[in-house]
Amino acid sequence: MTERDKDIARVAMELAIKNGCSGSRITMSVNTQSSFSVRNDKLDRLMQANSSSLYIQLFTDGRYSSFSTNRTEEKELKQFISKAVDITRLVSPDKNRLLPKQEYYFKGEERDLGQYDNSIKSIDPSEKSLIAHKCAAEIFNTDKRIISVNCEYGDIDEYLYIIDSQGFEGTSKQTNFTLSAECSVKGSGDSRPEGWWYESSLFFDKLIKEGVGNRAFKRAASRLNPKKLRSGLYNMVLENTVSSRMVAPIISALNGAAIQQNNSFLRGKLGERLFSPYFQLFDTPHLYGANGSRYFDGEGIATKPMNIIENGVVKSYYINTYYSGKLDMPVTIEGPSVPSCKYSESVNTINVSRSLEDILKKCDKGILVTGFNGGNSNSSTGDFSFGVQGFYFEKGEIIHPIKEMNITGNIITLWNNIIEIGTDPRESSRWLIPTLAFESVNFSGI
Amino acid sequence: MMTQTQTLMSLFGVTTEDLNRLINIALSKGGSYADLYFEHSIANEISLRDGEVNSAGSHIDYGMGIRVLYGDQTGYAYTEITTMEEMERAAKVASQIASSSVGGSRVSNIAVSTLYEYTKKGGYYPVINQWEDVSVSHKIPFLKEMNAIIFESDSRVSKVMGRISDSNTKILFYNSQGVMATDIRPMFSIVATCIMESEGRVENGSTSRSYRAGFEYLTMEMVREISKDVVSKTSFQFEAIQPKGGEMAVVMGAGSSGILLHEAIGHAFEADFNRQNTSIFADKLGKKICSEDISVVDDGTIPFNRGSLNIDDEGVPSQKTYMVKNGILTSYLHDRISASYYKTEPTGNGRRESFRYMPLPRMRATYMENGSQSEEDIISSVKRGIFADNFSNGQVQIGAGDFTFFVKSGYMIENGKLTQPVKDINIIGNGPEALSDIVAVADNFRIDNATWSCGKEQYCAVSCGMPSVLVRKLTVGGVQ
Repeated sequence: MTERDKDIARVAMELAIKNGCSGSRITMSVNTQSSFSVRNDKLDRLMQANSSSLYIQLFTDGRYSSFSTNRTEEKELKQFISKAVDITRLVSPDKNRLLPKQEYYFKGEERDLGQYDNSIKSIDPSEKSLIAHKCAAEIFNTDKRIISVNCEYGDIDEYLYIIDSQGFEGTSKQTNFTLSAECSVKGSGDSRPEGWWYESSLFFDKLIKEGVGNRAFKRAASRLNPKKLRSGLYNMVLENTVSSRMVAPIISALNGAAIQQNNSFLRGKLGERLFSPYFQLFDTPHLYGANGSRYFDGEGIATKPMNIIENGVVKSYYINTYYSGKLDMPVTIEGPSVPSCKYSESVNTINVSRSLEDILKKCDKGILVTGFNGGNSNSSTGDFSFGVQGFYFEKGEIIHPIKEMNITGNIITLWNNIIEIGTDPRESSRWLIPTLAFESVNFSGI
Repeated sequence: MMTQTQTLMSLFGVTTEDLNRLINIALSKGGSYADLYFEHSIANEISLRDGEVNSAGSHIDYGMGIRVLYGDQTGYAYTEITTMEEMERAAKVASQIASSSVGGSRVSNIAVSTLYEYTKKGGYYPVINQWEDVSVSHKIPFLKEMNAIIFESDSRVSKVMGRISDSNTKILFYNSQGVMATDIRPMFSIVATCIMESEGRVENGSTSRSYRAGFEYLTMEMVREISKDVVSKTSFQFEAIQPKGGEMAVVMGAGSSGILLHEAIGHAFEADFNRQNTSIFADKLGKKICSEDISVVDDGTIPFNRGSLNIDDEGVPSQKTYMVKNGILTSYLHDRISASYYKTEPTGNGRRESFRYMPLPRMRATYMENGSQSEEDIISSVKRGIFADNFSNGQVQIGAGDFTFFVKSGYMIENGKLTQPVKDINIIGNGPEALSDIVAVADNFRIDNATWSCGKEQYCAVSCGMPSVLVRKLTVGGVQ
């Protein structure tokens, strides 16, 4: 981000105040991204671009609206903000539309959180292309069952600059590097099952660049000759690549907007034990090198470590300034940064290491879910139903892949049936959710 | 008076000479084809919560993308600043696809038979009152009325959320074959969400309408219709349960059941997957894939429909494309790349979310044509199964063919009668098997005009439709 970008944000702030706003928050987002995709043995797509967006939140006469534009020449900005203020004056006043109390702002020293790799600007495009080519070459033409291989290297360099009319000023920057592979193999009949794998890292040198293609092929080949099982109650083990899917409905239900709009199965449950006493869900926003670590949220409010679910008890909602006023509850934070979970008698207990293999053995038999196929959950009730793919296992060993099966139930019931939480979250994930195991899950098949 | 092309060239600050210069730079490394896509979009929204319209917004997005093809390989770059300096830089980046290619053979020029300049006023979506001329104060009464109707309809209503969003997108397209095309695309959506509480239970429901049309298309009658609809849907949830799951017959109700086509077969007919041999239908062109009573269409020409386009995002005129005609797979959905590969004409399915994305084969309005049976007869023919008529989302695995869709509400069918209301269940099946398992098609076809969006790598507005059909066997999610 250049000084010019910051000046644009400052100009927008001045224009908002000049046009009569009592408050304003301006967020400037700038990013540069590139990607190189290889299909089989040749470069299929290359893409490179720079983007910037100016987000403008206006508070005037007790009213609020939000705007954005990427037309930032001063003349156009003047017209845009003048019109934006006029629009804001037409909506109904809402006494809770306020900038945060200043005591909540992040004011500390911005100690490095390990989010940015300065080398990103010096990586040659030919090196990026070569990484994608090597990934595809790991498997292309190595097995007659392979139909198609797609590998992509991508990187992004992002900056964020937030200022508000109460004097808050914050900057953050992050890099991200990814390498992904998809492989299609010939199955029975017309079927062409696919397998995928990806690695990502905030640092180029830490990006795992070998084995990604091989893992995609192995996952595709492992899906050959699937069988549909009889409907019934099974142990369910969720691989760490997809386990966050079963945490997401809880996170959504903790959101202040859902709570205030009576559209959350966790409304009115603060302080209640709803889940297994061994279930601990917490947020670690200052974890060095974790994807999502941050010192402040989109309002400038300082993040802090939080226990979300402690011994099965709902301890915190995600409450921003607006919903704090609406719900008459204290501000926490607008949403999760780096959520994680563990299975223990106390959130402070250090877990014994548990891998996927350990958990499969402990469960003895059941279904290992490695992917989801559609489905949804009801935010008001917590009822869910998802399509799944994965493997039937016995004695801790994979027996065969499954096909065309659903899981159905209720999120609260499910998390009371948690029997194991691993210690193996994927470090590259934004949410550090490890392998999970539940008992008595409804699977629908034959 | 300026033509639409001249007006848009002025908006983007370019001349024909500029466009040709950019094309020349884009092809300077040996690319076989290049195109330029300029886009200016203004999107607005207002939201109602707790009885008041207390939030509004407006968003401008502006920029252009340059695509270079070298055979079927793609170089792409975009810029948000349309100075020649920035656009030339982007053109040079995109041109590198030709110079950095390894083993890429050069193929023949992309097949497009006609030069096309869109001049017909409005085309499939003529507008009387442009959204950009409509004040927020003229939109607010619609949400206020919605709020009042919903609260008056049922004493269990505790919350109502409403939103009106509109956009107007101006597009200028130019390519190395000399095709110049323009389009101005309106869109609006109105969404109602209702929360009801009764005896400690809370349920929600949501409904929407969306059209490519101007402000004149939004009426109080539409507001009354969706208000009634959302109350009915939410109220229904109190009676419904998650049923016992397993394999059973499924009757898909008319309208939004078109999601079955979109997920089960539509994606698998998109020609990029077939060109890459990864679709389960890759070897089926010209072959019988289902009952001869079934014809499936992807149509970009329905007036005011959310999925309609005058031209696609590659400058190709929109059309009505039969994917399945009387049970035979007759056409994939093509962009220019796949059309070249299959040596056919593009079908107008080259679409993108915005100038930030390269175009891909995408659906528009996908539907099945009418059959001859009545819905009542179809239901009465089922001994045990599910009738599903309200859906929220779906997904497909292209290669395996397994697709799903989420049922917000429906009924059990027992001995030919609708019995226990059901809700919140996922249904899963296999595309080719499900298609061949459609054993009855009703005569009650209708398009569903909800806010459907498709998320294949990037978001595109689509719609779907269907007469009621009977699928012999699908796996229904449920409890024991």
